[in-house]
Amino acid sequence: MAILELKKVKKTFGSGHKQVDALKETNFTADIGELIAVIGPSGSGKSTFLTIAGGLQNPTSGDIFINEQNLSDFNEKKRSKIRLKEIGFILQASNLVPFLTVDNQMKLLDNVKKDNMSKAELEKLYDDLGIRDLRKKYPADLSGGERQRVAIAKALYSKPSILLADEPTASLDSDRAYEVMELLRKETKSNKTTTIVVTHDVRLIEYCDKVYKMTDGVLKLEEKQAVLEKKSS
Amino acid sequence: MFLAWNEIKKNKLRFSLIIGVLMLVSYLVFFLSGLATGLASLNRESVDKWDATAIILSEESDKSLPQSSITTDEVDHIDGKETAILAQLNAIATNGDTKQNISLFGIDKEERIMPKVTEGKEFSKENEVIASDALKEEGFAIGDKLELSSSDEKLTIVGFTNSARFNGAPVLYSELSTFQHVKFGEAAEANGDKINGIVVYGENVSSISTSNEDLEVIEIETFIENLPGYTEQALTLNFMIYFLFGISSVIVAIFLYVLTVQKISMFGVMKAQGISNGYLSRSVIAQTFLLAFIGVTVGFVLTLTTGTFLPSAVPVAFDIPTMIFYGVVLTVVAILGAVFSVLTIVRIDPLKAIGG
Repeated sequence: MAILELKKVKKTFGSGHKQVDALKETNFTADIGELIAVIGPSGSGKSTFLTIAGGLQNPTSGDIFINEQNLSDFNEKKRSKIRLKEIGFILQASNLVPFLTVDNQMKLLDNVKKDNMSKAELEKLYDDLGIRDLRKKYPADLSGGERQRVAIAKALYSKPSILLADEPTASLDSDRAYEVMELLRKETKSNKTTTIVVTHDVRLIEYCDKVYKMTDGVLKLEEKQAVLEKKSS
Repeated sequence: MFLAWNEIKKNKLRFSLIIGVLMLVSYLVFFLSGLATGLASLNRESVDKWDATAIILSEESDKSLPQSSITTDEVDHIDGKETAILAQLNAIATNGDTKQNISLFGIDKEERIMPKVTEGKEFSKENEVIASDALKEEGFAIGDKLELSSSDEKLTIVGFTNSARFNGAPVLYSELSTFQHVKFGEAAEANGDKINGIVVYGENVSSISTSNEDLEVIEIETFIENLPGYTEQALTLNFMIYFLFGISSVIVAIFLYVLTVQKISMFGVMKAQGISNGYLSRSVIAQTFLLAFIGVTVGFVLTLTTGTFLPSAVPVAFDIPTMIFYGVVLTVVAILGAVFSVLTIVRIDPLKAIGG
């Protein structure tokens, strides 16, 4: 069942001879429980795709459906509610609040949304991400990798239907990056979440169910095995 | 409140500075309000002590008690109301050691205007007076013989009463006959019925009237406002207080705006995550309330503490309800100052903030 669907979505910036097609006409479907990778070089339109899919910006044309709700029908206030309820973001920029401890980052979500993880589930998530000992620390006291793991915990804590991750392993070493991908895969399958990972690290696609490649604003489904073989060759 | 309080806890120095500024502004406001109340009391406390509804003066006096001249017969032209005669003059009194401006009231001790004696006894003989306890603080004592600048009469202090200053000068209360001797000397008998005004007690000023067209019924508050310098003084101090409210609001607005601008990226990320403008705005408002409340409370305590160390010569009187009112106003204007920050938050585009 499709949880996220983009129909004939286009995004252009500027006009006339300065017009840039950041995202050419795109159709995309993500089903429940899928882990999808979107790869491509910098500036190819990956982040634009992700932010449109997450309802952070409107497409120039086309429709976005999340849980069969057309985002185009809603104003920013309603889209904000849908983001809070349905979407978890793991962003390139740290999505942590600098003056909150790790534990309080989660409590903040308890203040704005119900039905987050239980205490036991959170403890297990801390263990899975190796951040149990960091719970009383502030973001400034954490390394880049630790911050990213806390950001992932924060995104998962609200039990989103869709997890949108923009370079989630960018600041992690290889071993930790694989661990995080394994965790994202596990969470995706066990919680029936749909995870879309935007990355330029092709090594990570072996954890994914589908691989899309973005080239100059064109999103194209690729054969996972073919991409891996191309990389190894 | 969760975000607000945690941010304050994490950035103690930064928020201590804001609280410090608010504390100093509130300290100044409270102190000015104390000064305004104290100076107003200097002018009006003996009038407040009458607890009267109106005063009747001659029309040509332009609401000035010393300039008014009427006779005791006029009491007969006021129907059915309780009245008290009042004669008044300004003079300089000395007990041999200390000179002091005073206001001498000539009254009938059987009437309601007679003040309650807090020390000593009521006057009962010619040339006996009871004095404002402000004179006691200046070194005057019961039994002192007073010489007045405008008279050969010597007055004896037989008692003190509290809260009795008129237009800045401590009041001496005497029987009307004593007053006439001071004012008119040997012509006292001939001017025995001359007084300055008639204090009237009634339900409201509109119920008080006089059949003599040369007299004017003046509501007590109007009479006070027309005391020389009273309104000008009050307006000046109140203007300073209101100006400080504005300054306080601007200071808070600037501080919070700078803090908000520094956090645009953070707010953007939170908005991207779906945290509403309402929640973030409430957080800023709650933070402002906390800062203002702490700052104003510390300022309040500091003002009262300072007040206990001030010499009695400083005309400061802290009226707690007024101070609480000003404290609430300061908190409210600080919150108004936070509105700029709220507008900034509402305008943040989460996409730009996260660099999308």
